[in-house]
Amino acid sequence: MKSASVVLLFAVITLSYAAVDEGLHPENLTKPLSESWPTFNGDYSGKRFSTLSQINQSNVRKLTLAWVMRPQSVAIKSMPLEVNGILYLTTPDNVWATDARSGRIIWHYYRESQGDHIGHRGVGMYKDWLYFETPDCHLIALSAKDGKVRWNIELADPKLGYFATMAPLVIRDHVIVGVSGDVTDIPGFLESVDPESGKVQWRWNTEPAPGESGSETWPQGTDAIAHGGGMTWMTGTYDPQLNQLYWGIGNPNPVLNGDIRKGDNLYTCSIVSLNPDTGKLNWHFQPSPHDTHDWDAVQTPIIFDDSYHGVTRKLLAQASRNGYFFLLDRTTGEHILTAPFIPTNWAKGIDSRGEPVPNPAKEAKPDGVLVSPGSDGATNWLAPSFDPVTKLFYVSARRLWSIFYMTAEGKPEGWAGRDRNLWASSVLEAIDYQTGKIRWTHELGDGEGTAGILTTAGNLLFTADNSDNLLALDPGTGKTLWHVNLGSRMHTAPSTYELDGRQYLLTPAGNVVFAWILPD
Amino acid sequence: MIFGIRNWKFSALAALVYLPLCAQQPNQSIPQPREQKNEDPASVERGRAEFKSSCGFCHGNDATGSRAPDLLRSVIVSHDDHGNLLAPVIRNGRPDKGMPSFTTLKDDQIEGIVAFLHHQANAALKSATVPGDYPLSKLLTGNPSAGKAFFYGLGGCSNCHSITGDLKGIAKRYSPLELQQQIVYPAGEKRAISETAVITLKNGEHYEGKIVHKDDFIIGITCQDGWYRSWPLNNVEVSIRDPLAAHRELMGKYTDADIHNLFAYLETLK
Repeated sequence: MKSASVVLLFAVITLSYAAVDEGLHPENLTKPLSESWPTFNGDYSGKRFSTLSQINQSNVRKLTLAWVMRPQSVAIKSMPLEVNGILYLTTPDNVWATDARSGRIIWHYYRESQGDHIGHRGVGMYKDWLYFETPDCHLIALSAKDGKVRWNIELADPKLGYFATMAPLVIRDHVIVGVSGDVTDIPGFLESVDPESGKVQWRWNTEPAPGESGSETWPQGTDAIAHGGGMTWMTGTYDPQLNQLYWGIGNPNPVLNGDIRKGDNLYTCSIVSLNPDTGKLNWHFQPSPHDTHDWDAVQTPIIFDDSYHGVTRKLLAQASRNGYFFLLDRTTGEHILTAPFIPTNWAKGIDSRGEPVPNPAKEAKPDGVLVSPGSDGATNWLAPSFDPVTKLFYVSARRLWSIFYMTAEGKPEGWAGRDRNLWASSVLEAIDYQTGKIRWTHELGDGEGTAGILTTAGNLLFTADNSDNLLALDPGTGKTLWHVNLGSRMHTAPSTYELDGRQYLLTPAGNVVFAWILPD
Repeated sequence: MIFGIRNWKFSALAALVYLPLCAQQPNQSIPQPREQKNEDPASVERGRAEFKSSCGFCHGNDATGSRAPDLLRSVIVSHDDHGNLLAPVIRNGRPDKGMPSFTTLKDDQIEGIVAFLHHQANAALKSATVPGDYPLSKLLTGNPSAGKAFFYGLGGCSNCHSITGDLKGIAKRYSPLELQQQIVYPAGEKRAISETAVITLKNGEHYEGKIVHKDDFIIGITCQDGWYRSWPLNNVEVSIRDPLAAHRELMGKYTDADIHNLFAYLETLK
């Protein structure tokens, strides 16, 4: 009885706290995805499965435009957050706060910067503050009320080639931030920053220090490990019960030439589990040991609990850029299953750890080698989704053939080579995670797909094809239920939220945001 | 780590990581990465010779390091602006790290070394492209006779192509790099062949032409009279002729040797 009272008291405190706080309390991030979209993947799991079901198979054909917003910007590659009726949308250098009911802009923050403007994934939110990374690799805390700068720190030196695109992940009082880099041989890291002060709480380097576990996977007595790459440019996932943070790590450097970095090159192209309070490594799994094809393993490591062969397990699944689907036990990192999801020709087999064994014959050569997938990957930043009802893992995949050339002469630096794409076609795949088999496919057209996926309790899957069509599919079969031409490519993923008892579907395409709703 | 259609305008210089990577000071001023400029070729060549004689013994003739560090990944080179950081280091040396001073070098010699170092670092930054004038000698590793056998045999190329017809003089029409890629998949800007479709309406009328657009819902073609026409796919019968289908089928079957042999054979068609 006493404990019940305590629970009730706690509930009252939580409710009253929420009532006076217009921002986002980190506790709310542990809830399953429903009325709001408060973090990059909607919730910590990365499933991108919304429990909203007002828009469903019976009425999806009636969807109509609620509003359209066109910020003066480049293509939108970010996930807008939706918190308390306000959307927070980004492109490189820009943040907009927008009325989620009307699409009207409330404030706009702009900060010109040098650096790679290749794209931007979005902001993280903690209480009344937004966390925004910039092309010159700064982390800026903004007031969610008016876009005013609270503090601004440099995460890494942009003159060395660092830049930033990713959406920070907020876990309690940690703002987890990653960095990007590409053409220079710089080391990657993941960092936790105090949301109030901007002080660094911990840094985890993607290459171990010489002598530490994992360093034996690099040449000894050279500086290769200090120039090994391994960027952290996509937002990870988090299990609050296990208190484990899961992150996909980018490719090693030099990118296409591994001659001066013989070995597996940990923790590049790996999925790692870290303690978010300390930055200490729990376990790792490496989808691409000794990568020489730019296949970052940064794709969302989706977490879900399910019965696997009769035993309930805490699982983690990734459809990786190298063309393989991996299923792990996320408590320990124990490997469960590896299966290709497109035709690949670069691995000699799968080793006892469940990791593909690269075939040296398929590394870049001066006279060219034909490889599937090309460096753009069998998938990439495009958000995957896991639907706990159909129990299927959805990925926007590419069949992509490319010829890899080793152009470097002398000591390789930077990319040291390049591939040239020949032919690509895209396909949405529903993977049965229990077997790795593909349950159904839905062709998306020639070229490389750029759209992510949303699934909902309305028994719907939303994505876009390569002909600018927004698609609503049956997640059980892949059959099209509704479509509309948005006039440009989708470079992010659909999302959904509910306001005033009405479910909105949000679909950025090009630099235009479309919000859909059912008629009154 | 490339994740989209790239903007290559900016790339910073390479790093030397044993110096601090960042300064976590709130509200500091925004650093301005150095713009990548093409160095004056004459200065670069002068600097190359000067570097070799003064610096190459320790830093390697190409500045990628030997007994002394790789300068293409140097923080000082990354931050240097026309020698403002490098010149003092060259003149004064770094006695704490065992680097001697080079007091006898004149300003124009140091300027050349600086230009050479930036040129070398920029080359590393630009290493993520295959140049259009990629040399034939690198690509020509195959056996033309084996290529010919593949062309008329296993590859099935001669089912559609003829060396006295459509492929006559093909090696003159494409650069070596383009030719190798056209062999595997003849697409891109110079693509001469494309998909065509015959559309049959419910009333039996036929339309034929080059496919302009096709998705799951609509097909649009340029008809023989020059007009663009489109139809909903659920209302017509469509028969598509795709001359590239055989190329796609070969992708999963080719060995790299097949490609190199085929290239060596077709490269003879001048």
